[in-house]
Amino acid sequence: MTSGQNEAANTGSGAASALSCQEIKKSFQGVAAVTGATFDVPRGMITALIGPNGAGKTTVVNILSGMMKSDSGAMQIGATDVTNWESYKIARLGLMRTFQLSRELGGLTVLENLLVAPKHQAGESLLNIFLRPRLAKREELENTKRALEVLRTYGLYDLRDNRASELSGGQKKLLEIARAVMAQPQVLLLDEPMAGVNPALIERIGGYILDLKKQGVTVLMVEHNLNVVEKICDHVIVLAEGRTLATGRLSELRANPEVVQAYLGEVINASTTR
Amino acid sequence: MSAFWFYVFTLVFFLFDYFILAMGLNIQYGETGILNFAYIGFVALGAYVTGASSLPASAGTGQQYIMGWGLPFPLNLLLGGVAASLLAVFVALIAMRRLRTDYLAVVLISFSLVFYDITNNYVPLFNGADGLYNVPEPLAGIFKLTTNSFVPFFAIVTGLIALIMWWAMSRITKSPLGRTFRAIRDDEGVAAALGKGVFRYQLTSMLIGSFYAGIGGGLLVQFGGSFNTTSWLPAETFVVFAVIIVGGVGNNVGLLVGALLVETLLIHLPAFLPDIPGHPGLIEYIDTIVVGVLLWVMLWFRPQGVVPERIRKTPLALLQGLKSDRSTNEEVPAMSISDGAGVNEEGGVRD
Ligand SMILES: Nc1ncnc2c1ncn2[C@@H]1O[C@H](COP(=O)(O)OP(=O)(O)OP(=O)(O)O)[C@@H](O)[C@H]1O
Ligand SMILES: [Mg+2]
Repeated sequence: MTSGQNEAANTGSGAASALSCQEIKKSFQGVAAVTGATFDVPRGMITALIGPNGAGKTTVVNILSGMMKSDSGAMQIGATDVTNWESYKIARLGLMRTFQLSRELGGLTVLENLLVAPKHQAGESLLNIFLRPRLAKREELENTKRALEVLRTYGLYDLRDNRASELSGGQKKLLEIARAVMAQPQVLLLDEPMAGVNPALIERIGGYILDLKKQGVTVLMVEHNLNVVEKICDHVIVLAEGRTLATGRLSELRANPEVVQAYLGEVINASTTR
Repeated sequence: MSAFWFYVFTLVFFLFDYFILAMGLNIQYGETGILNFAYIGFVALGAYVTGASSLPASAGTGQQYIMGWGLPFPLNLLLGGVAASLLAVFVALIAMRRLRTDYLAVVLISFSLVFYDITNNYVPLFNGADGLYNVPEPLAGIFKLTTNSFVPFFAIVTGLIALIMWWAMSRITKSPLGRTFRAIRDDEGVAAALGKGVFRYQLTSMLIGSFYAGIGGGLLVQFGGSFNTTSWLPAETFVVFAVIIVGGVGNNVGLLVGALLVETLLIHLPAFLPDIPGHPGLIEYIDTIVVGVLLWVMLWFRPQGVVPERIRKTPLALLQGLKSDRSTNEEVPAMSISDGAGVNEEGGVRD
């Protein structure tokens, strides 16, 4: 069962990877959700995190983004050890995430959702609001301009003044990515960014992710659609029953009987029976 | 001055004072999502500190209190606001770090009860159950005001203070700070995932709101000249909640409307009505019931309040400065997966 992990060696380790974790474990009231996640996410690439439903993918994303504490294990962003860091500190290091079930800031407009994202805004300090109002205003203006550009790119420009709670499911998915992009992340974790959206939008979202890669962003995405993984992901991590089963290119994994048995076989059968 | 105008200006005072109190609770609850069920405790501390710091060292009335510095207006009032803010920081540091909103609400209620018992029973602090009285009327000496002319005078002073505080609050709620507060209100976890140190912002919100509570309380003691534990039964917190829920959570104009409807028209106006013969105090009880029912009705039929939170639109000037106001799909990249066989229409295996 551990043989798959050795193949991770060729992706390098330490600072060569943008994000890595070792032996992450997590259980909920005695039920083990993650039993040993160990992998490196290579810098500047798009990596897929795949595995059956309930394999622990979302839990791993929650732990990597600091929103959940792991029971044991270690993790690093670049060369910085971030084990047990709080999520806002991890975010400030440049790691952003989206959620499997969209979590838009419903009472805020689409534009405001993006404007929350920039770090360390002058206007977020009570003193600056009254003592340095011009600085705060100038920065707000720049952020708003950039946010409108991002909204234009993501096709949400016309919805800018709508409350985020009023968006459709697909629009919310786009908003989550746009909001994360607004924070100018170095590492982006996407939890099923294409789940529940129509094929045309899948294409568009895939294009956005490729664009982010061009801009130098490291992406780790949870994805069930193997066509998408094949098209845009450079590297694949297979998680099964809470542990890393194998890592490598999708073509290599297709030749791995363990992986085929645990996950790929299931999917291939499912798509051929259609 | 006729009794009529005396009453009118008394109502005007309470309108503006409760507007200030409502702004303070609104930044905490309406903007940041903190269920501060101890709000009236911060109001009371502001009142006590303002009163005790403006009284002379010995009032010659046998009252016992701390401070007794004989501070002039508005220093005594500011001190009341600052004291309430400091208490908020203290409470936040011990209670807010690790508590979820609902637990925090329970902790805050018990905190307000403890504070109530201490002030009620520990006489050297603020004269126990008798509370403070004979608190000097601010500026009355300078302007040679009589008991009658003081009421309209101070109602107007309170109106001016409310105006300044409304201006400051608008600055805050319109700023990125206010936006981050609302982000935390909508989803704390998302705010944290976007790099916001949630606790720090909650602390800031508590500090701002409690300053407003303290000022509102200080004005109460300066207007009435006395303050004791019957003035701030812990349930009073819910009157302020009623003001902001009826008026409209998250909207400063709504708060003024709420203060007018709930505090002025429902709570204080009936107090001037003559007692129903044979049933002293009955009107007051009915009053409480009416406020409760109004709260139900509002939450049921119009939870957004009389004046709902407004949508903050993109500044027009900004849009004109940008490229044509039309979104296009031409720059949208595509990855072209559709040529691959067996595209799963549901987007892959989904639960
Ligand atoms: N907060 C929680 N409390 C209790 N159990 C949980 C919690 N979160 C996840 N689990 C359990 O942990 C296991 C892994 O869940 P997780 O959501 O990480 O799976 P996943 O790989 O993301 O699945 P999917 O592909 O369906 O999204 C599941 O058995 C789930 O029931
Ligand atoms: Mg999941």
